[in-house]
Amino acid sequence: MELKTLMSRAKRGLREELRLYLVAISSLSVAFLCVGGALLAVSNLSSIAERWGQSGRMTVFLRDGAQDGDVAQLRMVLESLPEVRDVEALSSAEARALFLAQSEVTADLAALPPEVFPASLEVTLRGGTDPARVEAIAGRVAQLRAVDDVETYRGFFDRLESLLAAGRGLAGMLALLVGLCVLAVIGNTIRLAVARRRDEIEVLKLCGATDSFVRGPFVVEGTFQGFASAVLAVLVLLLGFALLRGPLDQSISALTGTKAAFLEPWMLMALVLGGALIGAAGSALSLRRYLTV
Amino acid sequence: MTRGAPGKVVRPFAFFRAGAQSDRANRPILVFEDVYKYFKKDQPTLRGINLVVERGEFCFVTGPSGAGKSTLLQLIYRKHTVDAGRILFAGRDIARLKSSSVPFLRRNLGIVFQDFKVVKHWTVFENVAIALEILDMPRRLVRARVAEALERVGLAGRGGDRTEGLSGGEQQRVAVARAIVTEPALILADEPTGNLDPHLAIDILTLFEEIHETGTTVLFATHDHSLMGKRDHRIIALDEGRVLEARTGLRSWPGAMDVGARTETSGLRVVASG
Ligand SMILES: Nc1ncnc2c1ncn2[C@@H]1O[C@H](COP(=O)(O)OP(=O)(O)OP(=O)(O)O)[C@@H](O)[C@H]1O
Ligand SMILES: [Mg+2]
Repeated sequence: MELKTLMSRAKRGLREELRLYLVAISSLSVAFLCVGGALLAVSNLSSIAERWGQSGRMTVFLRDGAQDGDVAQLRMVLESLPEVRDVEALSSAEARALFLAQSEVTADLAALPPEVFPASLEVTLRGGTDPARVEAIAGRVAQLRAVDDVETYRGFFDRLESLLAAGRGLAGMLALLVGLCVLAVIGNTIRLAVARRRDEIEVLKLCGATDSFVRGPFVVEGTFQGFASAVLAVLVLLLGFALLRGPLDQSISALTGTKAAFLEPWMLMALVLGGALIGAAGSALSLRRYLTV
Repeated sequence: MTRGAPGKVVRPFAFFRAGAQSDRANRPILVFEDVYKYFKKDQPTLRGINLVVERGEFCFVTGPSGAGKSTLLQLIYRKHTVDAGRILFAGRDIARLKSSSVPFLRRNLGIVFQDFKVVKHWTVFENVAIALEILDMPRRLVRARVAEALERVGLAGRGGDRTEGLSGGEQQRVAVARAIVTEPALILADEPTGNLDPHLAIDILTLFEEIHETGTTVLFATHDHSLMGKRDHRIIALDEGRVLEARTGLRSWPGAMDVGARTETSGLRVVASG
C-alpha cells in the first residue's frame, strides 16, 4: 500500500472524526497522566531510597562502663576498615542532648536520665558499600568486648525497600489497568468511526480494496489517538513538575538530600510508544470484531 | 484514453496474471452455465441461467421487479456466490475464487448503482481517485487519470467540488467516472438511471455507450422501456429467475409490446409497495 495514500486517507479520517477523537484523546490523556504521575513518584522515591541506602551509616552502641582503652582500640579497628569514612564518638550526655534537640520534647522525656542514652560511635561508611558487607562488619564488631549492640538501620531500609516494591507493583498494576482502559476506549472510538463510515467502506470494497487497505487508516487513527494522549499526558506532567519543583526542592529535597527529577528519557519513550502501541492494538482488535469486510 | 484491442490492455492484477494466456482474449468475457441462486429454500431466485456475453457487447438486462436482475449482477461481482452452476469471467470460474481473491476480481469490474454509492463528504476527485489508490497507483498518475475520467463524463474541472453539492445526474457521473477510471474489462450498471429524470437517463445511457465504444463490455440493468426502446442493443430479459429472451434490439423484437406492458405494470407495483 502506498504510504502516502495511507497517510492521506488516515488524515482525512482524523479530520472527519475530529470531535470524536478529541474527546477520546482528552480522556485518555488523563489515564496516561495517572500512570505518568505514579511513575514519577516511584522513580523519585526510588532514587531517595537508593541514596539513603548507599550513604550507609552504622551506630556502634558501647557497653555501660566500657574501658576507655577498649573503646580507643575499637575506634582504631573501625577506622582501619576501607569501607569506613569517618568515626565519631558520642557520649551518652551528647546523645541525650541531640535527641532532645531533634525531637519535640515534652517534660517527661526531658526528665529521662542520661543512662537511657548509651554512648556510641557513629560510623559513616563510604558511599556504595554493599549492604551485605555492612552486615558482615556489624557482625564482627558486635563480638568485641566494648560493644553492646550495632545498629545498621538495615531493617529501616528493608522496610523502605518493601514499601517501594509495593509502590512499584501498584504502579505496574495501574499501568496495566490504564492500558486495558485505553485499549477499550480506542477500540470503541474506532468501532464508532467504522459505523459512521459504512458507506465509504462499502465503496472501497466494491472498488476491489483488500481488507488491509480498508483497515489501514483505522489502525493509523487508533495509533495516533494512543500516541497523542500519551504525549499530551507527558506535557501536562512536565508542566506540573515544573510548577511544583521549586516548593518540592525546598521541603522534601532539603530533608532527603536528593533533588526531584523528571522521568528518564527512556521512560518517556516507553510511555509514548506504549500509548501508540496500545492504540494500534485497540483499533486492530476492534476492526477484527466490527469490520467484517 | 483510447483503448486498444482488449488483448493488449495490460492488467497488472493477480486475477488476470494467474491465467493470462493469449487465447483468453478471444473467449467470451462472461459465461453463465446453468446458474442457480437460492435465497429461500425451494424458491430459487435464479433457476438455470445460461448466458454468453462476448467481449465488447452492450447488453440491457431487463425484467420485472424481483426477476433477479440485481442478483445476476451481484453474482458477477461476488456479493453472493452461486448455489449451482458456474460463472466464467474471462475464462475463470468466479464461484471458485477464494474470498481473499475477490478484491482482485472486482478490480477488473466497474460497478454503478441506482443510488450512486458515492461518498458524499468527499470531493469529486477523491471519489474517483480512490479506485486508483486501491491499485497502489502513484499519486501523479492518479491525478492525470482522474482528470481524464472526469473529462469523459463531462465533469472536467469539477474535481475540487464536494460531491454532496452535486445534482443526482452529476453524482451518477462521478460514480461512472470512478467505474471507468481503472479501465475495467466489464462494466456492471444496476439501474443506473433509476433515480434520474428521463432526460438525464438518456444522457447517462449515452455516456455508457461512449464508454462501450472504446471496447468495454457493458451490462446495463434497467426496466425502463422508453430507454431500451431508443436503442438497438442486445436485451437479456429475465423472468422468474430464467432468461426469457436474449435477442438484439427491442425495436426488432416481436413481443416487444407485451414485455413492455408487463414490465411497466411491475414497475408500478414496486412504487405502490413502497
Ligand atoms: N440478499 C437477499 N436475501 C434474500 N432475498 C434476496 C436477496 N437479494 C435478493 N433477494 C430476492 O431475490 C429476488 C430477486 O431480487 P433482485 O433484487 O435480483 O430483483 P431485481 O430484478 O433486481 O428487482 P428490481 O427491479 O426491483 O431491482 C427477490 O425476490 C428478492 O426478494
Ligand atoms: Mg434490482
